[in-house]
Amino acid sequence: MAEDREAMSPTKIGFSILWAACWTGIPIKAVFAVLAMTMGLVHFEGRFGLAFLIVFASPMTVFAVPIIIAMFETQFGEGIGLPIILGMSIPVDIWALGLVGRTFFLERLRKEPPHDGLGFAIWWRAALIGTFFFPLLWCIVSRVTEIAIAASHSMAEMESMRQLFDTGLPIAERIGLELTIWGSISSAVLIVLAVIGISILGQSIRRMAEIARPVSANYQGLITRWDLMRVPTDQGLMLTSLTGVGVVFSLMFWSMLPVTTPHPHECCKRPDVRVEPVFKPVESLSSSAQRIATLAAQIGAMEQQKVATIDQKEKGKGKAEGETAKDSSAKTKP
Amino acid sequence: MDSKHSSPATISDHQPSTIERLVAFLDERVGLKEMQAKMLNEPLPGGSRWAYVFGSILLFIFAMQALTGTLLMFYYVPTADHAWASTQYIIHDVDYGWFLLGYHFWGSSAMVVCVIAHMSQVFLWGAYKKPRELLWIVGLALFGVVITFGFTGYLLPWDQRAFWATTVGVEILDKTPVIGDFIARFLKGGPTPGQMTLSRFFVLHVMVLPAALMALAGLHLFLFRVAAPAGPFTGTVEELKAKTDYFFPRQIWKDMVGMAFVFVSICALALWEPVVLLDEAAPDPGDYHPEPEWYFLFYFQLLRLKLFAGEFGQFMGAVALPVAFMVLLVALPFIDKDPERNIFKRPIALISWIAIMVFILLFTVASVINREFLD
Repeated sequence: MAEDREAMSPTKIGFSILWAACWTGIPIKAVFAVLAMTMGLVHFEGRFGLAFLIVFASPMTVFAVPIIIAMFETQFGEGIGLPIILGMSIPVDIWALGLVGRTFFLERLRKEPPHDGLGFAIWWRAALIGTFFFPLLWCIVSRVTEIAIAASHSMAEMESMRQLFDTGLPIAERIGLELTIWGSISSAVLIVLAVIGISILGQSIRRMAEIARPVSANYQGLITRWDLMRVPTDQGLMLTSLTGVGVVFSLMFWSMLPVTTPHPHECCKRPDVRVEPVFKPVESLSSSAQRIATLAAQIGAMEQQKVATIDQKEKGKGKAEGETAKDSSAKTKP
Repeated sequence: MDSKHSSPATISDHQPSTIERLVAFLDERVGLKEMQAKMLNEPLPGGSRWAYVFGSILLFIFAMQALTGTLLMFYYVPTADHAWASTQYIIHDVDYGWFLLGYHFWGSSAMVVCVIAHMSQVFLWGAYKKPRELLWIVGLALFGVVITFGFTGYLLPWDQRAFWATTVGVEILDKTPVIGDFIARFLKGGPTPGQMTLSRFFVLHVMVLPAALMALAGLHLFLFRVAAPAGPFTGTVEELKAKTDYFFPRQIWKDMVGMAFVFVSICALALWEPVVLLDEAAPDPGDYHPEPEWYFLFYFQLLRLKLFAGEFGQFMGAVALPVAFMVLLVALPFIDKDPERNIFKRPIALISWIAIMVFILLFTVASVINREFLD
């Protein structure tokens, strides 16, 4: 058992500490992220999943992300919110790494945690490794993915593939095949590089553990010790503080939350609906009656005018006929 | 210490506060303290774990879905004439209506994700094995209820996406032998989705399914208490004994942190991608390519394969395959009788789980690429 602990691989050490510390810190960091989103400080656009991973793994990405943004002109989200969230993550990560690190040293390595600043000691190592390693990982995985996509496209268009079906490979099959090819290659490269990065961190933690002195207590004593490390001395004070912080954050959230949708999409804007005026029956009836009376008067006037016009025409016609008759009689006179 | 404070005379003079008297009043009538002891003093072999939080999180999400759903119902009108307009009204005119609708929408997705995470945890921990077979089967029924919740809720906004997803979904159900035609006719209430369909989906969504979920969740909890927690699959007897703890306070604390994290995550998703409606439902899809909710995309993409074309292929893909998978899950505790729970000593189980997860991920991404291709 003791040999197992001595022989624990750097990858296992690095992964165990990072994985637990990331999950320990994420609930607090998520609250900061939501408040930043509520204030409109950050819009993650289509890269929400990537943004989550960055905030989740902030012990390693805290300085790497600005470098990736500067070097590769990549955007993870609009606004100044992401640097703020990453900045606020630093104390959270130091606390989480310290808590997890002390537990790991006691329970898994059976060693006394080196000193009080264990959290900071692990954090700066993780941040430093991440600063150099993540931009490299980003560059390599992006390039490999590009090449793999191009290669999978070419493979799907090969003559032998075309011959499988009369019209070439059907769309769904083609997408599935190409995705499997380039997805496998990219994932494999990503996993290998991530393991290398975690292993480097694990190695530096193992060096810290080598100089730490072994603990003397039995297993039950150890469990009690690391368990009590997680229980605050004054539980009432902690619960009151947590409730207070929760209430303050809730009030901040609701006071800053936009009443109407903060970013209505261009594709689906609110339909332009014309509001009908309020129906007032009495006013409507009286105005209708007035309108009917006006229209009736207009119709009456028009009819009178029409009759007058017809009369005038008939009179004019009779006059003309009378004149024609006079003329014809004058012409027929010898 | 001052001896005056600890004297028997002072203790007997202690007057109970209003809260203490209220607790005593309730305890005398409903057995409050006994109930509290039963609920909180459940021993957890191996101690509290983050892996055990999913059940509590699911209950929390359901409670929040019920709350936001009730608030939405104050404004939503379940008629074919007004469903779309009333949803638009919620999004654009009701104060924080966009956020409530977004929370309800993403809450349903979170519920599906947490159900799958919970099922995965039970599967990987081997917690479906004897004596927890019934617990597993009731859990599968709850999974079915959650999926049906998503399916029935998807129609309610009555836009093109809702209309066509329901049309496709009901057509898939129609392919079930013997009962398919009846189910399709019952759900649609006519030849095409219309008022009758909306009414039926609404009643199922707000009355039948919540009642079913509450009943099944109660049964699930009861069976869980009877069978007791399975505990971790690794560790020596000494380690397990040293770490064994009660449900309160550590597991409750973990559950609460888990709930808070899920709540914050759903808020973030509602802020990131608020719900937007497409055009009002119409029998002509126009430029819209029908597709289901994101957690069904992998299955939708699977059905696009040439293998599942034609009458027989459609039957195989739409009915035989999912039914066979569900039957396999139901029969799992009776097929796998090996008491070994360590997932690293159950290679078939581990490989199967990884294969299913990779398959779901691969086909979901393929479906998104296919959508971009169609657009």
